[in-house]
Amino acid sequence: MTDIPPEPTRPSAWGSLPLRVLFVFALPALLIAFWWLTSDGSTNVYWPPLRTILRTFPDVWTRARLRADLVPSLLRLLAGYASAAVVGVALGTVIGSYRKVRAVCEPVLEFLRAVPPPVLVPVIMLFAGIGDTMKIVVIASGCVWPILLNTVEGVRAVDSVMSETARSYGITGPARMRAVVLPSASPQIFAGLRQALSIGIILMVISEMFAASNGLGFTIVQFQRGFAIPDMWTGILVLGLLGFLLSVVFQLVERRVLGWYHGLRDSSRRSS
Amino acid sequence: MHASLVVSGLRKVYEGSGRRVEAVRDLTFTVDAGELVCLVGPSGCGKTTLLKCMGGLLTPTSGEVLVGGRRVSGPPPGMAFVFQEYGRSLFPWMRVGANVELPLKQKDLSKARRRELVADALESVGLADAAGAYPWQLSGGMQQRVAIARALAYEPEVLLMDEPFAAVDAQTRADLEDLVRRLWRQRGITILFVTHDIDEAVYLGERVLILSASPTVVQEQLKVDLPQERDQLRTRVAPRFAELRTHVYEQIQAAKRGEPS
Ligand SMILES: Nc1ncnc2c1ncn2[C@@H]1O[C@H](COP(=O)(O)OP(=O)(O)OP(=O)(O)O)[C@@H](O)[C@H]1O
Ligand SMILES: [Mg+2]
Repeated sequence: MTDIPPEPTRPSAWGSLPLRVLFVFALPALLIAFWWLTSDGSTNVYWPPLRTILRTFPDVWTRARLRADLVPSLLRLLAGYASAAVVGVALGTVIGSYRKVRAVCEPVLEFLRAVPPPVLVPVIMLFAGIGDTMKIVVIASGCVWPILLNTVEGVRAVDSVMSETARSYGITGPARMRAVVLPSASPQIFAGLRQALSIGIILMVISEMFAASNGLGFTIVQFQRGFAIPDMWTGILVLGLLGFLLSVVFQLVERRVLGWYHGLRDSSRRSS
Repeated sequence: MHASLVVSGLRKVYEGSGRRVEAVRDLTFTVDAGELVCLVGPSGCGKTTLLKCMGGLLTPTSGEVLVGGRRVSGPPPGMAFVFQEYGRSLFPWMRVGANVELPLKQKDLSKARRRELVADALESVGLADAAGAYPWQLSGGMQQRVAIARALAYEPEVLLMDEPFAAVDAQTRADLEDLVRRLWRQRGITILFVTHDIDEAVYLGERVLILSASPTVVQEQLKVDLPQERDQLRTRVAPRFAELRTHVYEQIQAAKRGEPS
């Protein structure tokens, strides 16, 4: 009567680890090879050979430049993203929990969400100046919508039986939020956080293109204006790598926090 | 200290989206402190509705429920509820041990005491070594046993159980029935047990309450005069058991046809 089914091992549709690594890197490798070959003989100034770009890379992205440009960009992104996460989850929890608040807020939210975040940059510049605050506000104001709306949906969708279970055991208020509502909404919240991450990177670059004295966006625009085209391309490579790394980190965090959710999904898929 | 249950003139009408459902018409009955009463009735007759009103999860349209002499206006402390939908009643993001422990955190207990209660409760449902598993790694019957363990660890005075064994296999079911009887005798909890299984109602209960079909009233209350000591093999073949179950069966048939008893 007490035998526990073994921990489910995640179904490894892709077989062994080496094979998986091969699959993950196959397409990127192919694309890079394609870029290399098609650009190799290029004499177009705006479309330098990849060979040239890669040769320029170490000269441009020295340790000093990384510290001067990459670090400020990352800090702004982090600050904007984190404030958006805090505000989005907190506000979303309140809006999702009370039907009346939702009825009042929903039309406004739908409108605000429909405004493309980049157009906010000039507006926010008027209020927040052209310093770091402006950039952080721009990033946060773009990131907050997917987080907020997904949190509202997640909080609304808390299962009625779970909710009643909590209530019948006197689990209410903050304890209910912490133990029931937020974990239950966490898959949706993470979906929002994931969307927000890519929006955040875009806004980081855009806000630095408007008015800045450092940062990745600023540097890329500087190179372009100075006709240092291969250097400009290396900046774009750095941006791509940054986006890739951040999404890997995000996935690792998500795997940890939502381990239960993936397990639950796998187990219901197996049994159905 | 154990609490009795008094239901008087209970009526519940669901309103909403243009539909008006009178789930419960007029229910009056009592469950004495420390009594184990089974409730049977046709599907959809309002058993869950009744239990939720008693558990303070629903507000009755009229009438009232008293637990230990106090009028219920919200979930009363000292009452535990085992839901029909066990799969949705456990929290999938918590391991079994944490699920059982969660309600205890609302009580003023030391960590050591909480651990002890969790371990004892899991032990008594035969899941001592499942504390580290997630609910979705367990079979349906095991999940329901976790829900029962959670209710037991809470040390309730009143236990409301809504068709708790509907989804478990026959063997586990027999084990769980004996478990409920054993715990009831050991701890003197007041238990109201809803089931659609007539044999189960007669086997478990000291008394069986039969509800009519909708509009729901109490069709009959039947004292189960079987010995205290019950046994899956002998009790179920006793002549008196057969008489009682036949009687309950007839009453339910009559209830479905809408005849008064
Ligand atoms: N939230 C609700 N809103 C509207 N009607 C409801 C609601 N819950 C239950 N009902 C209706 O009330 C009646 C009684 O439902 P209830 O779930 O209490 O029956 P039950 O006796 O527990 O049934 P079962 O044996 O199938 O569990 C049904 O007709 C049902 O459709
Ligand atoms: Mg029911």
